[in-house]
Amino acid sequence: MSKLVHLLGFVTLNVFLLPFLCKSFSPETPTDRRVLVLLDDLAIQSSHSLFFKSLQSRGFDLDFKLAYDPKISLQRYGQYLYDALILFSPTIEGFGGSIDQAAILDFVDSGHDLIIGADANASDLIREIATECGVDFDEDSNALVIDHTSYAVSDTEGDHTLIASDDFINSNVILGSKKIEAPVLFQGIGHTINPTSSLVLKVLSASPSAYSANPKSKLSSPPSLTGSAISLVSIVQARNNARVLISGSLSIFSNRFFRSGVQKAGSAIKHEKSGNEQFLTELSKWVFHERGHLKAVNVRHHKVGEADEPAVYRINDDLEYSIDIYEWSGTSWEPYVADDVQLQFYMMSPYVLKTLSTDQKGHYFTSFKVPDVYGVFQFKVEYNRLGYTSLSLSKQIPVRPFRHNEYERFIPAAYPYYGAAFSMMAGFFVFTAIYLYNK
Amino acid sequence: MARSTSKDAQALFQSLRSAYAATPTNLKIIDLYVVFAVLTAAIQIVYMAIVGSFPFNSFLSGVLSCIGTAVLAVCLRIQVNKDNKEFKDLPPERAFADFVLCNLVLHLVIMNFLG
Amino acid sequence: MAASETSNGTTLRHAFGNVFALFILLLIGVLAFSIRLFSVIKYESVIHEFDPYFNYRVTQFLTKKGIYDFWNWFDDRTWYPLGRVIGGTVFPGLTLTAGTIWWIVNSLNIPLSVETVCVFTAPIFSAFASWATYLLTKEVKGVGAGLTAAALLAMVPSYISRSVAGSYDNEAVAIFALIFTFYLYIKTLNTGSLFYATLNAIAYFYMVCSWGGYTFIINLIPMHVLLCIVTGRYSSRLYIAYAPLVVLGTLLAALVPVVGFNAVMTSEHFASFLVFIIIHVVALVYYIKGVLSPRMFKVAVTLVLSVGLVVCFAVIAVLVALVASSPTKGWSGRSLSLLDPTYASKYIPIIASVSEHQPPTWPSYFMDINVLAFLVPAGIIACFSPLSDASSFVILYIVTSVYFSGVMVRLMLVLAPAACIMSGIALSEAFEVFTRSIKFQLPGAPIDSQVDAGDKSSDNTTAQNDVAKTEKSEDTIKERPSRKNKKKEKEPVGQPSVKSRFEKRLLVLPLEASILAIFLLVLLGAFYVVHSVWAAAEAYSAPSIVLTSHSHDGLHVFDDFREAYAWLSHNTEVDDKVASWWDYGYQTTAMANRTVIVDNNTWNNTHIATVGTAMSSPEKAAWEIFNSLDVKYVLVVFGGLVGYPSDDINKFLWMVRIGGGVFPHIKEPDYLRDGQYRIDSQATPTMLNCLMYKLSYYRFVETDGKGFDRVRRTEIGKKYFKLNYFEEVFTTHHWMVRIYKLKPPKNRIRGKTKKSKSKTSSKTGKRSGTKKNPWH
Repeated sequence: MSKLVHLLGFVTLNVFLLPFLCKSFSPETPTDRRVLVLLDDLAIQSSHSLFFKSLQSRGFDLDFKLAYDPKISLQRYGQYLYDALILFSPTIEGFGGSIDQAAILDFVDSGHDLIIGADANASDLIREIATECGVDFDEDSNALVIDHTSYAVSDTEGDHTLIASDDFINSNVILGSKKIEAPVLFQGIGHTINPTSSLVLKVLSASPSAYSANPKSKLSSPPSLTGSAISLVSIVQARNNARVLISGSLSIFSNRFFRSGVQKAGSAIKHEKSGNEQFLTELSKWVFHERGHLKAVNVRHHKVGEADEPAVYRINDDLEYSIDIYEWSGTSWEPYVADDVQLQFYMMSPYVLKTLSTDQKGHYFTSFKVPDVYGVFQFKVEYNRLGYTSLSLSKQIPVRPFRHNEYERFIPAAYPYYGAAFSMMAGFFVFTAIYLYNK
Repeated sequence: MARSTSKDAQALFQSLRSAYAATPTNLKIIDLYVVFAVLTAAIQIVYMAIVGSFPFNSFLSGVLSCIGTAVLAVCLRIQVNKDNKEFKDLPPERAFADFVLCNLVLHLVIMNFLG
Repeated sequence: MAASETSNGTTLRHAFGNVFALFILLLIGVLAFSIRLFSVIKYESVIHEFDPYFNYRVTQFLTKKGIYDFWNWFDDRTWYPLGRVIGGTVFPGLTLTAGTIWWIVNSLNIPLSVETVCVFTAPIFSAFASWATYLLTKEVKGVGAGLTAAALLAMVPSYISRSVAGSYDNEAVAIFALIFTFYLYIKTLNTGSLFYATLNAIAYFYMVCSWGGYTFIINLIPMHVLLCIVTGRYSSRLYIAYAPLVVLGTLLAALVPVVGFNAVMTSEHFASFLVFIIIHVVALVYYIKGVLSPRMFKVAVTLVLSVGLVVCFAVIAVLVALVASSPTKGWSGRSLSLLDPTYASKYIPIIASVSEHQPPTWPSYFMDINVLAFLVPAGIIACFSPLSDASSFVILYIVTSVYFSGVMVRLMLVLAPAACIMSGIALSEAFEVFTRSIKFQLPGAPIDSQVDAGDKSSDNTTAQNDVAKTEKSEDTIKERPSRKNKKKEKEPVGQPSVKSRFEKRLLVLPLEASILAIFLLVLLGAFYVVHSVWAAAEAYSAPSIVLTSHSHDGLHVFDDFREAYAWLSHNTEVDDKVASWWDYGYQTTAMANRTVIVDNNTWNNTHIATVGTAMSSPEKAAWEIFNSLDVKYVLVVFGGLVGYPSDDINKFLWMVRIGGGVFPHIKEPDYLRDGQYRIDSQATPTMLNCLMYKLSYYRFVETDGKGFDRVRRTEIGKKYFKLNYFEEVFTTHHWMVRIYKLKPPKNRIRGKTKKSKSKTSSKTGKRSGTKKNPWH
């Protein structure tokens, strides 16, 4: 009897808890929910509270832990406990618990997001993680980004390591539709991105006069990182659409920078509030998939006039193809409207390339004639727009040639030959009649 | 020289015609049939030369049906000709039956290949 | 009274002889069938080699879906992504035959599976082929020669090698069709009946359906007709035999989709058309000659010649222009490589690389036709006395087939029936001479009289004596036909009997010599039988899908191929693509049921060259190529652990050559060190880095610590290496088949900084340097 009561209690508890468990990350709701924040100093929790509050106000559960806490872990029994990771621990040499570089990279490779904040004394571990993501920090561990023409005018910082930058990436998806008026205050190390990689983008670049060097010592040789090649804040979108934000400064997220005003050297405008808060809030929305996350569903193709999908097409058939694309708005799936989604009918090279027309409600469709070549084709949709998740769909379908009874039955040009053949047969009958009855 | 060759040619034609007139009637019927078949083939070739050989299988089947008919008729003529010593004990009915069978096969194949 | 008695006795003997001949034929059929069953007994009822698996798969499709779907079948599981139109590129004869047999058997409620029917089709048709040889040789020389030739063909090792139970390939039915077509041609030639001409055309149609070697028929018969015309043996029977065959045969050949319009457009058929025109001209000439007087005929000749020559030149000029305009002069690559044996190695490496297409060595003649090699010249001489249309045909057949067999090992198969016919004729003639010598020298045998009846009576008594002799001889089959041969000489063709009586007077050898000679000939036959049975049991019965080896601890069975294909079919998705060298394509589609990139049909050289280039390239480039073809798995065959010599490393140079033929950046000298092909430490870096080396020898050093390759007999050059773009998913028990999977593209692209030797693992829970004040 007591066992039954226990069982009942267990079941009701589970049923009660089920909705909470379901609020976690899933493909149906791609926005992350549970975020682990690793700090190397608990003071950061309060010194960067504005940034964290903006996240919490959007519904994220932040879990603050010290980076060297021996009890932290990303997963238990094969299940990930968190959906995203924020590393605000630039000096950490080794994480506690079961987290290490390989675990973090596996975390990203399994589709989860990451924000890395490095700073002036970033450890080798943080630099290595950043390199694995495609971003190379300056090898000189003492170097900071110095800019003598675009520094932020201030009373205290005199070595021009506090710079004001407004060289943003031109993308509404990443930075939001509202233009960021004020420059962003930055103080920290610079990095470069791999120019051959299509996965890494510079969100905030340094001005052409910036360089990366140790501010306390004299320059003995020309600096290796100069100009706009230096990236201050970069994003990486991996092939499985995990998003990583790498920033060379931790103080860019701090309350101090959020609240302070900014005046760029050489410019007369003095802004009351720096652009940091707007910049980083919008960027965090992008990183946590609240913007720019697409899904494609309902891939359908059929012959014109029919409703169900055939297993094989014939050459010179007319067919229709349709697909629905939605974008996640943070709370729900909205139809995605664009005019540049293209479909390829592909067999080692695209035989047909068509831009899909849309009904403005997320439904894309087109129709075309199957080419005169038989083989095994694929319907390929490859959609890689800046800032959006990449759509890569392919569906294989064979195309067969004509059957022997699908050709024209009687060809007009051949009537004389038909006539000749039949006349031969008639002549044969007549001949046998005459021959047999000839006396 | 030319006169002698032309006279020879005329004499040649005369002798040919007289020799031919001596052939029995049934052989003449067969010969007529052969001529009909060859003429039809020639017409088709001319047509193909004008129009082009687009449905090549129809052209082939048309021409080959004519040629085949001609060949089979010639075979029949050989077998039925009483001057032919090799076939003197072949009953003409048997020859004709073989001829019919062969023509049936020929026309069946032609029908298949025509379309 | 005596005459009627003897005539009764003759008819009785005729009837007895016919029944006996029938019984012998039945036994020959059973012999042909059973000698091919060694592989079923020693291994199992399984399909051998590579090509038969494709035929088996096609037959399965035919039995499942019916003939219309088979006729229109577009196969999307091979030659990905090009696909293959099976209906138009396969010779349907074999599959239709097996399908029909299966359908008949199943409608009689005998539940034989398709595989069983396929495995046993070849032995059944070899029995038919030996009966067809009997018929053909009977037309040439007589019943005795026919039975001998049939017995020889039932056992000839060359034919056994291609028609053993399980070897379900085109030649299994094609040889039967070949011999049967020739038989009907000779029969038409001998009788002049249009009925046989029709049957001849239909048999030719069956041959065209079955094998690409039908071009041999359509070139040999015109050659023979030309020979007859030139040697003055033109007769109206020749016309009846040839002209309907050309017309009907061309039509029927054009009906088969594989041949299609090639029946009238390629140079392989031009000989038949040319001779067709020639025979008509000759027939017309004979007709006019018969009709006119000689003087008029001369006039006609001069007139026709002058006009005709001009027309002829014009036509030939047009024809030559047409043919010369095509680069291969209208011949297909395979035919050209037959005419010019060096053609393939210069221009078409794929044809040159097949081991069956190499010229044979001298020992292979002895292996394949054994004793017949000695008897063939004797048979040729025997055919000349007397020379008839039929025997001139057989002489032409043997001469051309000897030439072609010297070009390509595979065509020894066409030589085999010709050799059997010749040897049968030779043997039966020899026996005839010897037994006649014995008959005339036996005590009590009356001297031959001039009268036919007298001959018959002497035959009667000597027949009884010969019966007494039978107990002595070991091979009864050889003895009886000689008696029947003598009986056949009394046929209505009067000429040979007169000659033979004269011959009987001339060709009489001493008694002891002929007894000894008969004994030796029988011994020769015994050697032939022993060799054939040995060849069938040991040499030609191996299904190359299962290998065995005998070692000190018993019999080892290597079933790695089927193991690998079963793994593929159970552990991969249905739509996954498997890339391997083209040898294994048919087996992979048939047994593993996966899509392949290239297979044994080798119709697209560029596709094969792409795969060859991928195998010869370094790992990254190979991954790119395979990824562009949507390949998921790569399969290589490796024999280094067990000593299996036909593995991919041994075939690798052909991959390089074929790939280099289309993609010039692959150069064969890059893979050779001083012109030698090596895989040990002296191998070139290109060789040690190419994909084939890596996939074959990955982790090979773990087997014995040294990486000793048993086939190449050296230690391998690069022993410890990692694969970055492929991962090993399966290796069979004896390492003979290795399957690798393509790794998906990396999720993140690394930055440019070099990886530092990891110090991160040692430090946990530590922080470096001074903390930065977060409030500043």
